[in-house]
Amino acid sequence: MKEVRIDLETRGAVDVIRLTGSLDMYSLPQLVAQVQTLFAQGHYCVVVDCRNLEYIGSAGLGAFIGFSTQSREHHGDFKLLSVPERIFKIITLLGFTKVLRLYTSEQEALDGFACG
Amino acid sequence: MKLPDKIRLTVQPEKLLIRAPGMGCHLAAIRGLVCDTARRAGVPEDDVAQVELAVDEACSNVIEHAYGVDHQWHRQEHTPEICIEIRPEPGRLVIEITDHGRRFDWAGYRPQDMQVLMQAGKTNGYGVSIMHRCMDEVSYRSDANGANTLRLVKYIKPHGAVRPAAGADQPPVP
Repeated sequence: MKEVRIDLETRGAVDVIRLTGSLDMYSLPQLVAQVQTLFAQGHYCVVVDCRNLEYIGSAGLGAFIGFSTQSREHHGDFKLLSVPERIFKIITLLGFTKVLRLYTSEQEALDGFACG
Repeated sequence: MKLPDKIRLTVQPEKLLIRAPGMGCHLAAIRGLVCDTARRAGVPEDDVAQVELAVDEACSNVIEHAYGVDHQWHRQEHTPEICIEIRPEPGRLVIEITDHGRRFDWAGYRPQDMQVLMQAGKTNGYGVSIMHRCMDEVSYRSDANGANTLRLVKYIKPHGAVRPAAGADQPPVP
């Protein structure tokens, strides 16, 4: 049984979430709880490192859309870093790149936050 | 890949049959079996990822909606079952996902445009549109015995063939 592991780091005013494993309807609530905790603390500048993410389902993609919108409403952002090619192609196919912001460089992802 | 004990496989020359409890903890194993079968059938890797997403979405819908904890089926059967039949056929891969839970009003369901949902920041409502986007045929039927079957078909394109780019995200009306 695959689950997701969530590691959290703080880089200045930015929270970096590193995901390992799969995000499906079974594992997604762990990430939702983590992000909601950050938002409840007023932390709306978030980078999600996806380099070790093996799979994401529609619920996970929908959650990313919601987190992106919510963070921007609070002058933050929810950026995706190092999305694996297999997942990137799915995100592109579905047109989610129109809302999600994807980065290949961690420094570029960390730069440009209004809360920095 | 080691399968959970509660997942049963029936391997026949023309098809693979997976029977799994309708629980989210089995989704990863189901995805693994579906991907392996699709690869062996000659489905290109990019399309395998799309099949994986569509099947995961279909099974998640069964667990959440057909067998949801507030429904009669969950009370009657502690672990209602999902049956996934995978049939490689000439030029295509056919996957049928059957449950015995609450019937979905497929004919009456009109999925919203994904672009509209995204721009509004919606977290759900994408599933059926995603299945249409990822698969070449999507249909649903219910029989008199209470079995509901979602049928997904992926055409097996020659390696290098390109699917139209995203943009027309509105799926065909079911």
